[in-house]
Amino acid sequence: MVPEPKLSHTAALILKAIHAGDGYGFSVMEMTGLPSGTVYPAMRRLERDGLIRSQWERQAIADADQRPPRKYYKLTRTGQTAREASERRYPLLAKLAAEEVERR
Amino acid sequence: MTIHLVILRSASWLVPGERRVEWLAEWSAELWHVRQRGGWRAARFCLGSFRDARWLRRNSPPDAGPWLRLESPAQCLGTLGAAAGVCLLLALGFGPPKTPLVPVGPPLLAMLYLAAMSMPVVLATTSLRLGEYPAHRSGRRWAFFAAKIALVMPIVFFGALALWPILRMLLIYVMLPGYVIAFRWALADQRRRCPECLRLVSHPAPIGEPSHVLLEWYGTEFACAKGHGLLHVPEIPTVSFRTQTWMRLDRSWRALFS
Repeated sequence: MVPEPKLSHTAALILKAIHAGDGYGFSVMEMTGLPSGTVYPAMRRLERDGLIRSQWERQAIADADQRPPRKYYKLTRTGQTAREASERRYPLLAKLAAEEVERR
Repeated sequence: MTIHLVILRSASWLVPGERRVEWLAEWSAELWHVRQRGGWRAARFCLGSFRDARWLRRNSPPDAGPWLRLESPAQCLGTLGAAAGVCLLLALGFGPPKTPLVPVGPPLLAMLYLAAMSMPVVLATTSLRLGEYPAHRSGRRWAFFAAKIALVMPIVFFGALALWPILRMLLIYVMLPGYVIAFRWALADQRRRCPECLRLVSHPAPIGEPSHVLLEWYGTEFACAKGHGLLHVPEIPTVSFRTQTWMRLDRSWRALFS
């Protein structure tokens, strides 16, 4: 049986926000209330550990909206497992994120 | 250019060169969106970029640009020797300071005196552990380390003396941090070298997971380009894996590296 990865509360919160939100850095900040200096290094660490992966938005989509292209983050399969495990570990996470989604 | 972009560009100098353009593009794009939602928080958002840039700098393998090739021990000592020579010539060109900097007179003793003064700071801020290595050929490694220390001291001392016309009595406040940085570099460089050929190790590969350190290790594995072995550097020191360890590869592995 593969052991479930254990994450810090902040990392679990960011994983949850990436899963429930739009998947870019600023949306994670808005959902979690964490500052940029915490969110971005945490996302780099999650990406290095293979829990999330990043992808640049297509230039044509950004051009159509007359804005610069953004970098989007998605959970990998390992990240999904980690998120599910962290929600069992921190039950309040699911509630917090659900409230945030409703507010949006 | 706005103050926000100035902050981002300043932080981008901390990011390793090969990732800088992409990093700046990501932060600039996010900044555009932050401004759309209200400009008052843009400055706070941008200040966070320094923490992100510093994280990337600390978690990226050291890269030596083509302008400074220190891979082999000969290249390293040659570059340091040339730098020491240039610093000495510059210091001689500007002439020695009229007021003695330290209570000891001759330049060599003054250099050693100042180096000794910086030692408490080095000991307080730097780990002196060089890792676990096989005992054989350790003399060559220590000789190389001693040569590096012997060359960085005149670089700092004479390099700072060359700034005497500008700094005057503030010189000593440049020299002491200079020594600390130089000694820290010498230790960090020594930790990243193959104990057999003394070349810098390369090809970093992340190993393990931060949450699984009871029976496994979590960190980065480097390889000697000549196939002498693998360097395991733990990111989270544990009881079973306290410090970096060298794993020697026998000759049967060499075919993979040639």
